[in-house]
Amino acid sequence: MANLEPLRPNLHLDVLSSEQVSAIRAATLDVLEHVGVCFPSEKALSVFEDHGADVDRESHIVRLSPDLVTEAMREAPRSYVLGGRTGDADLLLDGKTCYLATDGCGVETLDFETGERRTSCKDDVARMARVSDFLGSISFYWPMVSAQDHGKTAPLHELEASFRNTVKHVQTETVMGPRPAQYAVRMGEAVAGSAKTMRQRPPFSVLICTIAPLAQDKEGIEAGMVYAEAGIPVGFMAMPNMGATAPATPGGALVVGNAEVVSAMVLMQLVAPGAPVFHSILASVMHPHTAEYVVGIPHKYLCNAAAVQLAHDWGVPALAGAFGMDAEEPGSWQQGRDNAYTALLVPLAGADLITGSGLLEASTLLVPEQIILDDEVYHINRVLLNGLDTDGESLALDVISDVGPKGHFLAQNHTRQRLRDIWIPTLTHPRPGPGGPPPEDLQERARAELERILTDHEPEPLSETIQQELRTILAAAARDLG
Amino acid sequence: MSQEMYEKLAQVVIVGEPEKAAGLAQEALDQGLDPLDCINQGLTKGIQRVGELFASGDYFLPDLIIGAEAMKNALAVLEPVLTAGGQGREVLGHAVLGTVEGDLHDIGKTLVGTMLAANGFRVTDIGTDVPAADFVEAAKENGANLIGASALLTTTMSEQQKIIETFEEAGLRQKVRIMVGGAPVTKSWCDKIGADGFAKDAISAVALAKRLVGAA
Repeated sequence: MANLEPLRPNLHLDVLSSEQVSAIRAATLDVLEHVGVCFPSEKALSVFEDHGADVDRESHIVRLSPDLVTEAMREAPRSYVLGGRTGDADLLLDGKTCYLATDGCGVETLDFETGERRTSCKDDVARMARVSDFLGSISFYWPMVSAQDHGKTAPLHELEASFRNTVKHVQTETVMGPRPAQYAVRMGEAVAGSAKTMRQRPPFSVLICTIAPLAQDKEGIEAGMVYAEAGIPVGFMAMPNMGATAPATPGGALVVGNAEVVSAMVLMQLVAPGAPVFHSILASVMHPHTAEYVVGIPHKYLCNAAAVQLAHDWGVPALAGAFGMDAEEPGSWQQGRDNAYTALLVPLAGADLITGSGLLEASTLLVPEQIILDDEVYHINRVLLNGLDTDGESLALDVISDVGPKGHFLAQNHTRQRLRDIWIPTLTHPRPGPGGPPPEDLQERARAELERILTDHEPEPLSETIQQELRTILAAAARDLG
Repeated sequence: MSQEMYEKLAQVVIVGEPEKAAGLAQEALDQGLDPLDCINQGLTKGIQRVGELFASGDYFLPDLIIGAEAMKNALAVLEPVLTAGGQGREVLGHAVLGTVEGDLHDIGKTLVGTMLAANGFRVTDIGTDVPAADFVEAAKENGANLIGASALLTTTMSEQQKIIETFEEAGLRQKVRIMVGGAPVTKSWCDKIGADGFAKDAISAVALAKRLVGAA
């Protein structure tokens, strides 16, 4: 059985009122109609033209009427399945469940054996996929770092290493450009078994970044069209940087980000009506003195939660950002502080998908044991989001009366049974067990757990036939793409 | 037949059914089984298994305490018969436990008592708010060789020192080993007042007690 422990929050928090959501929607439609978004792709521009959008061929700017946007977005499904390699790893986006992924796509790794900082490689992607296959906190896998030992086909190798080492759904954020996208689709078909099955239970999905402010990436948007036509779910992520690539207000950043994401989702619906899409905005701020990219700030947390409401306002699933903050040291106060806020706020807001755990230095550095530290934060939040149970038996009147004043509850059967329901973080409060006491240092403890998983856990193998097919596709891609 | 009953006695401790334990012990006696065999081959094996399950992380403290209660209830039926027959159960030592004068905290001391009893000690619990002289009296009455004094308050810790002094005055200090515990108690406090040992929780108190009576 695939080990999946998604969040099913009973507690909810709307950071925006419905009036605020409506105001942001109106402002977004205004920007789309009057300012427009740049689509540097002839194919995209033709699609927009065919559907009556206002297209400027010279500047590549597309302006969309509110009617066109609303009509197109009506086609987008609110609920669909992200397929696993095995059926028990399928993720249904049902509006009630929240699935966490790993972070991506880092460029450096602290080496698994030596701990030295080095350029990331395909084996890192494979090892972390195995760890993610084991961890219940991880529902789907983002290849965590770039397979920089594989040149131009690195993104396809990241996909292959992921398929081979986990049964969980894979989401790529690197296979861009229409030709690589076609190879990725072929790989998806090989894993799913057929094009038809791939549409029903796509074993991978794609996240494409927009360019702030108000522009799309040619390679990204053209890959997006390939994926949408093949039935692969496509999400768009805006990353407005307040003060630099977005206005210096959360409201303004949300409007700009929303316009970027919505314009791209509209294109997908025009290309392939009913195509599964999702929405994502990850805000940040420019450091006012150094221009550094800063994510560990309260306004960002609020924006991430607000973006979930915006996604749902358009009737599509939300991918929200958590973990992966600025900190350079794992296990530091800063890292714990920032991860705890983001990882709690976005499921409270009702995010369908969350990315992602395991990276440091603003999602660029893989510290292998960080995923274990984040796992603990995740499980704390899992309990928090459940809220409290106060049914008859849990009010414990009988036991209270049996024990009476000045007694104790240790010897009660009620205690014996229900004490087990109170989860205590295991990394900080390890239970006794075989193998003696764990290391004193928390990071070393996380490290020991990571090593145990890598030694003990064998993911369900991908059949030799499919592995061979994937190798053939990779070889063809290498010849074609260079 | 007898093997089956020993297994039942072990299970009543492992599963933790104090309410059934006395009845089961009586049933064993009614079948004509030897009470010492019932203890050694039934109850003790059960409590050892409980200890193993606790050490492996499967059992929690309440499981341990409820198992020990089951053992205690069964012993209450078996021991008098044993004594009447001129026999005795082998124990590692006899401990007198109490919370010091001025202090009403009960749970930690009771936990230690439960753990010691489950690990082969005979335990006499003299309660809370106990004057130093009463520790000495109880030790004399019961022929105890181990004293446990609990204090949860910084304001009552000094009573532990008084207990040691009272044993010295009574000329009994050499006959007993004295261990101290409680939230504010530390190794250095233990050394300062001349106690024989300190444990930070009930589990380590068992190891300490065994060491003090030369059983470990």
